Amino acid sequence: MSVTATTAKPVSTRVELEINGVAADVRAGLSTTLLTVLRDELHLTAAKRGCNQGVCGACTVEIDGVPMRSCLSLAHGCVERPVRTLEGLLETPRMQALQRAFAASGAFQCGFCTPGMLVAAHALLAADPTPDDAAVRRELSGNLCRCTGYARIVAAVQDAAAAINASGEAAS
Amino acid sequence: MSAVQHGMLWPRTVDEATAMLADDPDARPLAGGATLVAMMNARVLEPQTLVNLSRIDELRGIRGEADGGVRIGAFTRHAETAACALMRGPAAVVRQAASKIANATVRNMGTIGGSISFADPGLDYPPAIVAAGASVEIAGPSGRRRIAAADFFVDWYTTALQPGEIVIAVLLGAPRMGGGAYVKHARVAGDYATASAAVCIDAAGPVRAVIGSCGSTPVRDDDADALLSGDRSDAAIDRAAALLEARADPLDDVRGSAEYRRLLIPRLLLRAVRRAEAGTDT
Amino acid sequence: MSALVGTAVGLSVPQLEGDDKLCGSAQFIADLHRPGMLHGAILQSPHAHARIRGYDLSAALALPGVRAIVTGDDLDERHRMGAFIKDEPAFAKGKVRYVGEIVGAVAADTEAIAREATRLIRVDYEELPAVIDPAAALTPGAALIHENSASYIKVFDAGTDGNLCSRTEFTSGDVAAAWGQCDAVVESTFQTQAQAHLSLEPVGALAEIEAGGRITLWSANQSVFRVQASVCESLGLPMTRLRCLTPRVGAGFGNKMEAHVQPVVVLLAMKARRTVRMVLSREEDFETVRARHPFTIRIKTGARRDGTLVAREIELLLDGGAYGDDSPGVLGYALLMQCGPYRIPHVRANGRVAYTNKLRFGAFRGFGVPQVTFASESQLDELAAQLGIDPLALRRGNMLVPGDPWFGGQAIRSNGLAECVDIVERESGWSTPLPGPAAQAPPGQRLRRGRGVALSAHISGLLASGAIVRLLEDGSVLLNTGAVDIGQGSNTVLTQICAEALQLPVDRVAIASPDTDGSPYNWGTTASRVTYVAGRSVVGAAAEIERQLKRHASEMLECSVDDLELLPGGKVAIKGVAQKAVSFADISGRAHWATGGPLIGTHSWVFDQKTFDPKRAVALGLPFAQIGVFSFNALVVEVEVDEATGQVRVVGAWSACDVGRAINPAMAKGQIEGAFVQGMGYALVEEMVWDGARLANPSLMDYKIPTMAELPETLQAYLVESEEPSGPFGAKSVGELGINGVAAAIANAVADAAGIRVRRLPMTGERVLRALLESATPA
Repeated sequence: MSVTATTAKPVSTRVELEINGVAADVRAGLSTTLLTVLRDELHLTAAKRGCNQGVCGACTVEIDGVPMRSCLSLAHGCVERPVRTLEGLLETPRMQALQRAFAASGAFQCGFCTPGMLVAAHALLAADPTPDDAAVRRELSGNLCRCTGYARIVAAVQDAAAAINASGEAAS
Repeated sequence: MSAVQHGMLWPRTVDEATAMLADDPDARPLAGGATLVAMMNARVLEPQTLVNLSRIDELRGIRGEADGGVRIGAFTRHAETAACALMRGPAAVVRQAASKIANATVRNMGTIGGSISFADPGLDYPPAIVAAGASVEIAGPSGRRRIAAADFFVDWYTTALQPGEIVIAVLLGAPRMGGGAYVKHARVAGDYATASAAVCIDAAGPVRAVIGSCGSTPVRDDDADALLSGDRSDAAIDRAAALLEARADPLDDVRGSAEYRRLLIPRLLLRAVRRAEAGTDT
Repeated sequence: MSALVGTAVGLSVPQLEGDDKLCGSAQFIADLHRPGMLHGAILQSPHAHARIRGYDLSAALALPGVRAIVTGDDLDERHRMGAFIKDEPAFAKGKVRYVGEIVGAVAADTEAIAREATRLIRVDYEELPAVIDPAAALTPGAALIHENSASYIKVFDAGTDGNLCSRTEFTSGDVAAAWGQCDAVVESTFQTQAQAHLSLEPVGALAEIEAGGRITLWSANQSVFRVQASVCESLGLPMTRLRCLTPRVGAGFGNKMEAHVQPVVVLLAMKARRTVRMVLSREEDFETVRARHPFTIRIKTGARRDGTLVAREIELLLDGGAYGDDSPGVLGYALLMQCGPYRIPHVRANGRVAYTNKLRFGAFRGFGVPQVTFASESQLDELAAQLGIDPLALRRGNMLVPGDPWFGGQAIRSNGLAECVDIVERESGWSTPLPGPAAQAPPGQRLRRGRGVALSAHISGLLASGAIVRLLEDGSVLLNTGAVDIGQGSNTVLTQICAEALQLPVDRVAIASPDTDGSPYNWGTTASRVTYVAGRSVVGAAAEIERQLKRHASEMLECSVDDLELLPGGKVAIKGVAQKAVSFADISGRAHWATGGPLIGTHSWVFDQKTFDPKRAVALGLPFAQIGVFSFNALVVEVEVDEATGQVRVVGAWSACDVGRAINPAMAKGQIEGAFVQGMGYALVEEMVWDGARLANPSLMDYKIPTMAELPETLQAYLVESEEPSGPFGAKSVGELGINGVAAAIANAVADAAGIRVRRLPMTGERVLRALLESATPA
């Protein structure tokens, strides 16, 4: 890979972000990613760095309500765009149903891919409360897992969907 | 000429954006970031100034034009393009291509303008928009212009964009009867295409067939199109594939050898023609 | 669900660390943070083979924020580490041996500064000819990668000579004479590729230095004890000076079993006299650490007309990379396992590992068995075809049955292979013909289906472990085994074993995190050994605690020890008289305050079952004198081959494993499923590719692993419980077993589907299409 010589020193400037509903004042250079800011400045370490190229999915967070790669999002590019990490989604009934289903199904082993997987699954169920097998596989194919072989993750997402829908019906 | 500003710049109009780019030749436009930020992370690029296009309303969204055509704003995310019902008939090839880019999360980020401006021959949009007969609308210091998609891709990572110019839209002709298909062969879901075939069949006759990932730009051939426009038998497809193959210049890489890509051309072309005929969305 | 359920054993208890992982609060090495810590970055070699003439650190040292730089000049030539051959310095000293090798490192205030500083280090190299191909490496006159290889310390008779890292040979019976008895003989050569582990978590370490010089080292690892040994050996430190700990580990699959950046991080911390953390990028992890050995396999098998296997000859050439690492072990183990779970009376199995100028190849799930099984099981199908026998029938006729020993004579005391075969035969619909391709599909565009089978095995017992069980003051229990949980669930499984042994609910047993200061030695989380080896230690330590509990209780209840039993919930009672009981808490109080002292149960052992019976087999260069206790797998795979592109898609997989006893059935199945998908990647898609001496695809853009979209429509894991008498509650291993037969089963299914035999991995669309075209071309 080629390396270009830098003549200018990277400059960190103030940038105000909205993370999990709270204003966060951080310092970031132009090339600083949201992932770096989340982990190193704000100590929100659920989002992980697995590849830094947007392929593995371990860094997935919600920006503007939609799952995105925090490793491919520049901190300065996230002004006025609400960011939600796994830490900020823990209270939602949908996430809690997913966590219960993941635990019951054995849908994680080492846990490194799990935060990104949960954020992506959460968004999937928000957009499509009754995804079929094919939809789950398609929508989560961008979240790599090396431990589980995926089958239990698919089952857990389906189980969570069923549980959410059942409780929703009960409530209505 | 105004003083060079560093950092993230936020133009609100296309003219503001092109002016910023003109002021600073080292500034780079930032669309979805899927490509650019990956390159910054790898230290392949280290721009001091980014012109962020995300707040320019004119660049956003897909709309139908008065003449029945479809205008895809440069800042349209792949997810939106993949879900757009306006792209029917032959134009479905573009929608299918969008749906096969990377994965769902990256499709929430990447944009058509950013993607085609990067002009990596392995991308999904280039063969699809060429097959769709699209044109690319460009804005720059000397104003706006439109060129055919086929003329937009010039070489490896090289487009017809002049310094200071940006893509502002991809324009598809009015939806017509017929079908389109984008067939992508890749090692696993989300990988770049090892090779691809994009075919548009206009019910009125003309066929356009384009091969992707087999050269520095999308591969097409007038004679192959003419052939297929009159005859879509297996034998005709084979002859058309041979013409396309003669123009292809694939490389060896980790996804496959040049020889394998050549073998794939007739096979993917056949599959794409049949799918375009069937109108099946995959 | 296990067929045999106790109070804890046999239950699918959810992972103990689940809450942390599901909330994102689990702390992996990259999440650990110390105030004022420095950040480390590595400098990598641009050359495959070169002498280091000198370093110029002036520009790097001048960069503000740089606190320390280490190079080979900070290392002592005499200090080398290595699991079998002590051939490896902490990082490159004197010469570099592969592109990407760590040449030096910087500690600085920020990672960006550290990385910038590495780019300012000038190294004066004198390039040497690079040796890339293992066969070329063993040719006389090839440039020597280790000039002093003969002088290195070795833990076994390796036969090291020049670029020959090690050689091993096993013979049984009289192969030369046996070919004459065969009615069918098949001989072929197979080639397998380098596979990257691709744990989602890249490697990293954090070293803290105390004023007195003692070092605390956190790292992503599979063995705190191997880390301790490797760092101390390579840096010349006494082991009392280093304490090794483990945060949550993001998987390993073998990549984190031996040292990675730990030695260089410790050295940086010592030089800077400050805490240093370093986490490699994905590309650096790909380029510097280790990968699965490429094998060249020449294999010949002979059988009688009725399918009875008579003779096997196999010759292996392993690409070992620049350092020995686990290579001798992989070679030896592959030779031990290459017969598969069959009776073959006449065997000659030999192999060599060659040093080359590539990154070291080392432990990776299966440890050589996926490679040899690909060859062996493919060849059995070819033999079956030649003899006109159904592939499954051939296997049934030859497979080891209860009472048969393993190749070399080691006794097998539990064998559930037949039941595994029955299950997968039935569940896959093996006897039901598959539908042909769709009628309308034109030739050359058809999707063709096929099925393949593979049988394989794996060991459970190797090397040493210990366990300490302590009764806490409130009657609950703390278990300490030193075994690292890398996500596979060993903490949970060992807790279940301890809870079962003491009749306690699982939540009354806590398990300590591995710590070389406090934990008893456990060789490592590798070789599928933790459930069996550490599990036996847990059972032993719990039994010791039980003895102590009963001794107290007998005094408290005024009866004989033999009159006592444990009751569920932490009580010791007189048999049949439940009311005459004392609680663990009562006993603990008595022990702590009145008499006897704190209850501490310990157990320590090393697996000592001999690999070979010298009357049954002859071994030369045996790296593991004691390894054994076999688990068995039967795997059927159904594939779809796309004639147009050659792409192979797995549509169904049925994998049955004899695990002795499933301590945690869901976790055991999780291992089988995960292993299958990783094996599928190995079989079809994954390949580290070298462009000359440089790794061409060290990134996730270019090196692809299966995604959720590739998950087969059907992936079923089945557990068979043959109850291993020597195992903890009958358990034996499962961690690696599920990957061993995958490439072979898929290759056999492709042959069934498309009539072609691919003898090279991965079976990419390109290789399959070429084979299809070649088979269609008239000779």
